[in-house]
Amino acid sequence: MTLNRRHFLQATSTASLALAGAPFVHAGSKDKKYRTALIGSGWWGMNLLQGAIAAGNTKVVALCDVDADTLELAAETVTDLSGDEPRSYRDFRELLSKEQVDIAIIATPDHWHALPAIAAIEAGAHVLLEKPTGHTILESRATLNAAKSAGRVVQVGLHRRLGPHYAHAMEFLKQGRAGEIGLVNMFVHGGGGAELPAPNSEPPEGLDWNMYCGPAPLRPFNRKIHPGGFRNFLDFANGQLGDWGVHWLDQVLWWTDEKYPRHIYSTGGRPIRGAAVLNDNEQTTDAPDSQVAVFQFESFTATWEHRQFAGQGAEKTRIGCYFNGTKGTVHVGWRDGWTFYPANGKDPEIHEDAQLEEPDGHSISLLWTDFIRAIESGQPPACDIEIGHRATSMSLLGMLSLKLGRGVAWDGDRERVIGDDDANRLLRREYRAPWVYPKA
Amino acid sequence: MPSMNAKKCWRGLHAIVIVSMLVNVATAEDWPCWRGPRHDGISRESISPETWPAAGPAIAWRAMVGIGFSAVSIVADRGYTIGNQENVDTIYCLDSESGRVRWKHSYESALEPKFFEGGPTSTPTVADDTVYVLGRWGDLFAFDAHNGAVRWNINVAREANVRIPGWGFAGSPLVVGDLLLLNVGEAGTAIRRATGEIAWTSADRDAGYATPVPLVRDGRPLAIIASGKSYLAVDVQSGRELWRQRWLVQYGCTAADAIVAGEHVFLSSGYTRGAALLRWTDTQPDVVWKSKLMRNQLNASVLIDEFLYGIDGNDDEETSLKCMEFSTGEVRWSQPGFGLGSLTAAADKLLVLSDEGHLTVVAASPASFQPLAEAKVLDGKCWTAPVLANGRIYVRSASGDIACVDVRRAAQE
Ligand SMILES: NC(=O)c1ccc[n+]([C@@H]2O[C@H](COP(=O)([O-])OP(=O)(O)OC[C@H]3O[C@@H](n4cnc5c(N)ncnc54)[C@H](O)[C@@H]3O)[C@@H](O)[C@H]2O)c1
Repeated sequence: MTLNRRHFLQATSTASLALAGAPFVHAGSKDKKYRTALIGSGWWGMNLLQGAIAAGNTKVVALCDVDADTLELAAETVTDLSGDEPRSYRDFRELLSKEQVDIAIIATPDHWHALPAIAAIEAGAHVLLEKPTGHTILESRATLNAAKSAGRVVQVGLHRRLGPHYAHAMEFLKQGRAGEIGLVNMFVHGGGGAELPAPNSEPPEGLDWNMYCGPAPLRPFNRKIHPGGFRNFLDFANGQLGDWGVHWLDQVLWWTDEKYPRHIYSTGGRPIRGAAVLNDNEQTTDAPDSQVAVFQFESFTATWEHRQFAGQGAEKTRIGCYFNGTKGTVHVGWRDGWTFYPANGKDPEIHEDAQLEEPDGHSISLLWTDFIRAIESGQPPACDIEIGHRATSMSLLGMLSLKLGRGVAWDGDRERVIGDDDANRLLRREYRAPWVYPKA
Repeated sequence: MPSMNAKKCWRGLHAIVIVSMLVNVATAEDWPCWRGPRHDGISRESISPETWPAAGPAIAWRAMVGIGFSAVSIVADRGYTIGNQENVDTIYCLDSESGRVRWKHSYESALEPKFFEGGPTSTPTVADDTVYVLGRWGDLFAFDAHNGAVRWNINVAREANVRIPGWGFAGSPLVVGDLLLLNVGEAGTAIRRATGEIAWTSADRDAGYATPVPLVRDGRPLAIIASGKSYLAVDVQSGRELWRQRWLVQYGCTAADAIVAGEHVFLSSGYTRGAALLRWTDTQPDVVWKSKLMRNQLNASVLIDEFLYGIDGNDDEETSLKCMEFSTGEVRWSQPGFGLGSLTAAADKLLVLSDEGHLTVVAASPASFQPLAEAKVLDGKCWTAPVLANGRIYVRSASGDIACVDVRRAAQE
């Protein structure tokens, strides 16, 4: 069989190291071992945990997943890499009540970020929380409030604030070397075509589907959703803008002194994939295959654009942001590093290659080190929950405008849409019982 | 190399004699199914890379068949493969001389590109003038190999009432006597070749993604089937399960075909799983060794003269072509640079296709990595193992470009 993409891989370079013969990898030799639990032990969760193990300052005490096979494989991997023998849980509440946890890593699907994060904070843990920090804006706000009132560190998985090439591009921009920036374009493009529905089926053996759906509506199981496919289903996530988008929106918020956009308008749909299907027999994904969002800040405009057809199209690159200034354009990319294209075509381009950890091209070890530094120093981490909340809110406002079909004016200080009750209702969602929407 | 005992030495010698005889006798052979006539990924044809022109051997023709990972099966002057365009699978019968389409047949089939390009992942199987095709979503066809007429067609998932695993059925049909054995259901499904009726099926649990591998013990035809959570041995006539080896892999990705050699069965998967050598017993097999140093994520290794050659590692990660001693699991050499490529053997040489379309001929020798020739034959991602038949090598990319590389001696002179 043939499965691909960075997505499909789990063994990291630390894993390969261990596989090559070193039984236990302990890069650092700090005395302190943080009792660490992982909630959501799929692809990205295990990438994060392996980064933590490689740092040498963790003892993995517990793993949680609603998929029994995933849980078993995760436990085996942890033992192979560290010698730790974590206990396995299907329910994060049970985990948090039975284990003493210093650090909880949360890498569940997006609709399952807020409740476990808040529960972990309330149990006294510091949290490494995956982006987005909520599936609706008030979940994210509730998580932020919980962290602040409990005085816990919450580092969000926005590792693009730590990766060297992103940092250098940001330095270049902040030094004004691209001139005055008036327009930022963010984009993630790929190939694709029409989508056919897949038949619903019994959930795989060992998957607690009811718990997977959790606060989201219970829908029939479909192979398109799990593993990994939830990102294309709006009950569980927020499509490409809520996934990749958060990273690039965060680059913009990192660069600007403004805290939030004032006006947001988004449109898009499924002109290529076709109308979403969900019935007793079959379903398709339902996230937009293409979308444009405009974020109007006071001093500049930022746009988001994604499409899942036409591949790279006419551009030199298919992922990243263009910061367009009076002196030229800076492209902050992913695997292609960053490049400055001067406005004066006679000036030389400036380029720096990406420095990423593999597989999957990230900077998890830097994210982890910074997280531990924050815990130990009491200084906020580089991707503090406040930062994650802002980037998440920006992406969710784009989705809110798309769903609503009109633009919204945002009061980011009060976190309310101005003069639009329908819009404000979309800052939260109905939860399926017995789950209760967290109090913001 | 460590010293070999006399018996092993003799066996090695014996193998060499057989191989060289075959080179003389069988200069050409068909490749009627996935992994070839002996289901081991090894052709008895020999090739002569020393005669390759510097610019690489001639590309006899190219064709475009649509997205997918199906290899080409060759019988006489025809090749068969599958591709997907706009949610329609097409099986092509191509003229092996010219690449011209002799016949084709299309059926609706979702591309479903979840984490990969999507499209068909199994390879057509040709036997007795019939071409058998299993689509990802259970569409099973028997075609007249001459003209493409549909002899019969069922949806095997529906008829057997078993679930489709997350990425669809990927195992190719295996012909065993009058039966067609499929990796459908937890422990396979057998179809009567003449009629398309189900002879037996197995539990409604996820299948894995490898092709059933046949063997005979005590005169009984058996097969090793990769299920979602284990590899199982089944009796082909009855469907009775003889044993199962639990084998949990991320995403249920038991994709590499088992390798059977005498009393031994070699298993390997990617992610964090690795490999194991099993020894057959009357009940549950013994585990001879386990190793994390050979992780065949998608394509299986080949076993030549007591040594395994295969791609170790996962997509988007450092991978390498490795030589591993079958009896011990000891790695003899390791060579990076092929990505998540694949390989097939031509007698005592390996045909390694990198995931970027470089075809390298490598000596199948445990002594060292010895590349003998190299040619760039395709662009774009290549995850499908090359096929050698009748002096031509057939390679395909994920997007569906097929190149027919002419390596007949005459073509080089
Ligand atoms: N920062 C990054 O670069 C980055 C990259 C990839 C993914 N992510 C984030 O990581 C998260 C997970 O994504 P993934 O790709 O690993 O998905 P995945 O499907 O591979 O893993 C998610 C896991 O969570 C489990 N799960 C679901 N509900 C649960 C519950 N209630 N309790 C415990 N486990 C539960 C699922 O069974 C699954 O194993 C997403 O929020 C995604 O946005 C971040």
